[in-house]
Amino acid sequence: MLLEVRDLHVEFRMRDGVAKAVNGVGFAVDAGETLAVLGESGSGKSVTAQAVMGILDTPPARITGGEVLFRGQDLLTLKEEERRRVRGAGMAMIFQDALSALNPVLSVGDQLGEMFVVHRGMSKKDARARAVDLMDRVRIPAAAQRVRDYPHQFSGGMRQRIMIAMALALEPALIIADEPTTALDVTVQAQVMDLLADLRREYRMGLILITHDLGVVADVADRIAVMYAGRIVESAPVHDIYKAPAHPYTRALLDSIPRLDHRGRQLYAIKGLPPNLMNIPPGCAFHPRCPMARDVCRTDVPPLYEVVDEGVSERVSACHFWRECLHGRS
Amino acid sequence: MAGPEPILEVSGLVKHYPLTRGILFKKQIGAVKAVDGVDFVLARGETLGIVGESGCGKSTLARLLVNLEKPTAGSIRFKGEDITRLSGRALKSVRRNIQMVFQDPYTSLNPRMTVGDIVGEPYDIHPEAAPKGERRRRVQELLDVVGLDPEYINRYPHQFSGGQRQRIGIARGLALRPEIIVADEPVSALDVSVQAQVINLLASLQDEFGLSYVFIAHDLSIVRHISDRVGVMYLGRIVEIGSDEEIYDHPTHPYTQALLSAVPEPDPEARERRERIILSGDVPSPTDIPSGCRFRTRCWKARERCALEVPPLAVPEEFRRTAGPAAHDSACHFAEERSVVPAESPPLPGEEPREERA
Repeated sequence: MLLEVRDLHVEFRMRDGVAKAVNGVGFAVDAGETLAVLGESGSGKSVTAQAVMGILDTPPARITGGEVLFRGQDLLTLKEEERRRVRGAGMAMIFQDALSALNPVLSVGDQLGEMFVVHRGMSKKDARARAVDLMDRVRIPAAAQRVRDYPHQFSGGMRQRIMIAMALALEPALIIADEPTTALDVTVQAQVMDLLADLRREYRMGLILITHDLGVVADVADRIAVMYAGRIVESAPVHDIYKAPAHPYTRALLDSIPRLDHRGRQLYAIKGLPPNLMNIPPGCAFHPRCPMARDVCRTDVPPLYEVVDEGVSERVSACHFWRECLHGRS
Repeated sequence: MAGPEPILEVSGLVKHYPLTRGILFKKQIGAVKAVDGVDFVLARGETLGIVGESGCGKSTLARLLVNLEKPTAGSIRFKGEDITRLSGRALKSVRRNIQMVFQDPYTSLNPRMTVGDIVGEPYDIHPEAAPKGERRRRVQELLDVVGLDPEYINRYPHQFSGGQRQRIGIARGLALRPEIIVADEPVSALDVSVQAQVINLLASLQDEFGLSYVFIAHDLSIVRHISDRVGVMYLGRIVEIGSDEEIYDHPTHPYTQALLSAVPEPDPEARERRERIILSGDVPSPTDIPSGCRFRTRCWKARERCALEVPPLAVPEEFRRTAGPAAHDSACHFAEERSVVPAESPPLPGEEPREERA
């Protein structure tokens, strides 16, 4: 297994209390596999990604438990220096906002080339050539000319391609992309997602896509993990989750997506608000908003049940009543 | 246009921002053509959706409509009166009737003002709208209307979530009882589940107060849920406009078709049935708009004629005789009907039509 996260816990110590951002998250990604982590803001999806990458701000954040196994080695117990080495060669991250993630006063060629100078000890000239090559690979037109340009001279889609080129530079085994297309227009979104899918195939990388929009990742992802209040509440192959969600939150989330082919003015809305992470409801965190909630949901935290559907078991759901949800009784 | 009376008529609307060179002797060397000839009619009680990608001029259009910017040319008639020529008291009284809801609920509310002050601020500018003694009660009513607890009147914006803040923005937009609300991407900063609540709120407020909306967004599926008619913008112009059915089920402009086909589709089965058109390249710069048809540089159908002649926004010739849904305004020399959205997919298993309101 390329990456395995087990029972990860992250807290944020604030002046007015402790926010429990990640509460026992576990998942695994293999080479050539794509996992999409789906959740709304505050669900803990980005914090999970940052904890895996080792780029959490500590303090205020604190990893209070769990393991992050990269090729079997627990990154959390490594010294910062060792960890950096493993990370630099093995994993890379793509951020949502390319404009603020790139350095505005360095040309993109210098920024891409820096990776080769620092990590591979190349000369500046060779590094520049590699930078052009990378820009070609992410299909930036006229790469040889544009390598001298600065980030602000590129359009949003092109900037995101440069971010992808940077992530690819050291040929990592795993890429984590945090909302890679959220800031882009729909016509450009499709171009960038296609590029990511192609590159993953070409390099047989593991890919983790953090997103709030199922529609964007549905083409590329193999599995989907849905997060709510710092937990994975359901994880399943992408086809199954859409056809028959086994958790009421997943179902509600799918229902509230506005659809091109659905006319009519009423959209399904989940009532209430996501929980305050300083004060997560007892029992199932989703119970105050859940149409299926019963007494047991208010007291007992649901474990991750194995969902057995037609004799096959590839999914898990953190709902006491996953059977009813799966079979559409609510 | 037949049917209900028009409340807003926009014709030939243009907004160019000059680009200058030199400090002492400023010389104009070009212009950003943000809005470059927009015409449409908004009927009373109707919602017109305007969609387009970033840089197409949709936000500038919104600012022109509420008179935050003066147009370079063209007119905006509110109940027959051209508001672009008004000033002073006459302008102020028209402004009361056209209000705006902004995109970003995090930056459009003053963090140092209480909710009561924010929602009540329009009354400071238009004191005739509510007598002083009544304002607090009015503000509480407004909070109630948008689904917030009237007790929150003394709280500050940071104490609210994104969706709640957008409700505050909507309450402020409603304060003067306007007839038209221009909403510029009102839900694009919100989470999916909260988005739905705000869209439903806007729809129910429209019924309650008989409002007319200009709803500006980049998300075609959101626009479909709320709009009666939809206009598609590209580089400062409307390239296709028609009823919801005409645009979504019978688009004839290649840009609309590409835009529709690019909307992410969460249903794996519907996705397989759908055709995807991926446009190459980016939107050209609004300082340097291509000759003829402005979409031709990204269009797979472009021919010589497209570089020479500007296609007018009218019913294309080949559809003029038929009365079908393909016969609507589309600015393309080679307009062709092409259905890119698959027919309505069956509801999810176990899903009944929901009537729930947020």
